[in-house]
Amino acid sequence: MKRIAILIVEDEPEVRQAIERDLETFTTCFRIEACEDVADARDILATLASDADLPGLILCDHRLPGTSGVDFLTELESSGTQPGLRKVLLTGQADQADTIRAINRGGLDRYIAKPWNAGELRDVVGTQLTEFILDQEIDPLPYLGILSDPRLLDRIGRGPRVD
Amino acid sequence: MNATSSLFSKKTLSLLLALIGFLLPFFLHIPGLSPAGHRLLSIFLLAVILWVTEPIPLFATSSVVILTLILFLSDMSTKLTWAWGAAEGFPTGAPPPYTVFMGSLANKVLILFLGGFFIAFGAAKFGVDKNLAALVIKPFGRRPTRVLLGMMLITALLSMWMSNTATTATMMAVVLPIIHRLDTSDKFRAALALGIPFAANIGGIGTPIGTPPNAIALGALAKINPQTGEALGQCSFFQWMIFAVPVSAVLLIIAWGLLALLFRSSKKEIVIDMEVKWEKSRQAILFYATAIFTIGLWVTGSLHGIDSYVTGLFPVAILLSTGVVTTKDFRSLEWDVLWLVAGGVALGEGVAATGFDKWLVGLVEWNSFGATMLGITICGCALLMSTFISNSAATNLLAPIAVAVATAAGGEIVTIVIFVALGASMAMALPISTPPNAIAYATGCVSTKQMATAGGLIAIIGLGIALAILHPLLKLAGVL
Repeated sequence: MKRIAILIVEDEPEVRQAIERDLETFTTCFRIEACEDVADARDILATLASDADLPGLILCDHRLPGTSGVDFLTELESSGTQPGLRKVLLTGQADQADTIRAINRGGLDRYIAKPWNAGELRDVVGTQLTEFILDQEIDPLPYLGILSDPRLLDRIGRGPRVD
Repeated sequence: MNATSSLFSKKTLSLLLALIGFLLPFFLHIPGLSPAGHRLLSIFLLAVILWVTEPIPLFATSSVVILTLILFLSDMSTKLTWAWGAAEGFPTGAPPPYTVFMGSLANKVLILFLGGFFIAFGAAKFGVDKNLAALVIKPFGRRPTRVLLGMMLITALLSMWMSNTATTATMMAVVLPIIHRLDTSDKFRAALALGIPFAANIGGIGTPIGTPPNAIALGALAKINPQTGEALGQCSFFQWMIFAVPVSAVLLIIAWGLLALLFRSSKKEIVIDMEVKWEKSRQAILFYATAIFTIGLWVTGSLHGIDSYVTGLFPVAILLSTGVVTTKDFRSLEWDVLWLVAGGVALGEGVAATGFDKWLVGLVEWNSFGATMLGITICGCALLMSTFISNSAATNLLAPIAVAVATAAGGEIVTIVIFVALGASMAMALPISTPPNAIAYATGCVSTKQMATAGGLIAIIGLGIALAILHPLLKLAGVL
């Protein structure tokens, strides 16, 4: 089965581990990949494509060595190679101009300011993954244990399953 | 994935197996089976393999069944100058006209079901399902076992008119927040998570439109016996309810008692906050009126003489012409379910038209079976099959056989066919048994073992109950 992947791009190791720890509950249903810069992120996207897995959500810091987070999101948005990918900026250092660019040209879905609250992060990730599943018309059944949005049940009720 | 593994994927293998199953009877000579019977056997094997292994959607198999029946077993086959030509050995001397098979797509049972779709669609569109749930749950109070009973009762009531799957999805959304407020160690979580799918499966038994197996059973009964020129059995909407609602009610109480016993709550009270908010737009009111009118016509059939099948057209005509169901809505209806049922009806026509039933029946000394034994066997087969495959597909395959066996054994055709539908609906021991079970399992609130224990017990007790009370109830309903 195709897995939905969560991609974390964060250069500071401690922060990256903290994010991974906060999102640990999602590992039962989702593939989580973390990396330190945009070059690595591109490699991971290539790996996901060759494994036929689906990038569903990217959690990206803005200030990164090399290409910045907002530049990467803009690149992903304009290339159109990642259909439906939900984009979340998790940063404390994006200025107003960067943020405006992320929203207008990067197709940003959510902005989370550092330091974040673990519960809030999980809520955002859960909601964004729900949106991805609904938008890409993926069968929601395998995700009911993690994502409790009633819209997923509604979709199953209208889905192709026959008594 | 590389080329070799995709070549031998489960899907490819299933399709290959189906093709082999289909071709096999062409190279065999089975004593006692007419050439036409051999062709039917081909199509039957094809249907069995495709419906069991599901390499293509269930309704796609139906379309294949209908097409092959027409090509191989109808008068169409006599016109094929380039191929196999007509088979011999039809009991009536000639192959049936192809419209017999094609006509299954407009069978009156499908129209009845379509009427049900319109009621269910409107109920979901205007939130009638959730409002009824909020309304019914109120008097049940806060004690966990009572809340469970209330939730199961609403689910069963809704499932009589909506598909089991849609009902479960709706009610799970109501119950999940309650479950999430309980401690993860509280066993009562499993009771609530299992109560919904079980009640949906059980409630589906209640009306002819509750779930496709009921419609398939009615389709099998509505078939005309070529010898007598009459339908094999008569059962109106209301008559169905007279015997099926008590069966549902008894099963529901047993399921509730079992769940309450197996998974006791550690809490004294459960708080539910559900609001009743009836939509009062012109369209919603039109829908309420149409639904009440239609259900009224269904349950009072004998008073006005409009039969249940024709009544099915009322909500269709009214809701379409008033624009309550729009073009977009109409396109979104579950047409696949209708095609699935049609496949079963067509297969039943084929079995009877070719004398395949006579041969099949001759394989076993059915006369030595008592009526009870026959009931247990048929109902048990349906239960076992639909534990692993779709209830509708199991009924599609078993209903024609049940008709044949009942005829041969001199049993009551109506009772036996209804046993098949009941058996199919009572299969709820595994997550794969029914989509409602799959939904409950997917929420992670219940383990396979918990489901197997409770679901298995309900199925076996249910089988016993059905055997004990179905016959007198059918008498009471005037079906026999």
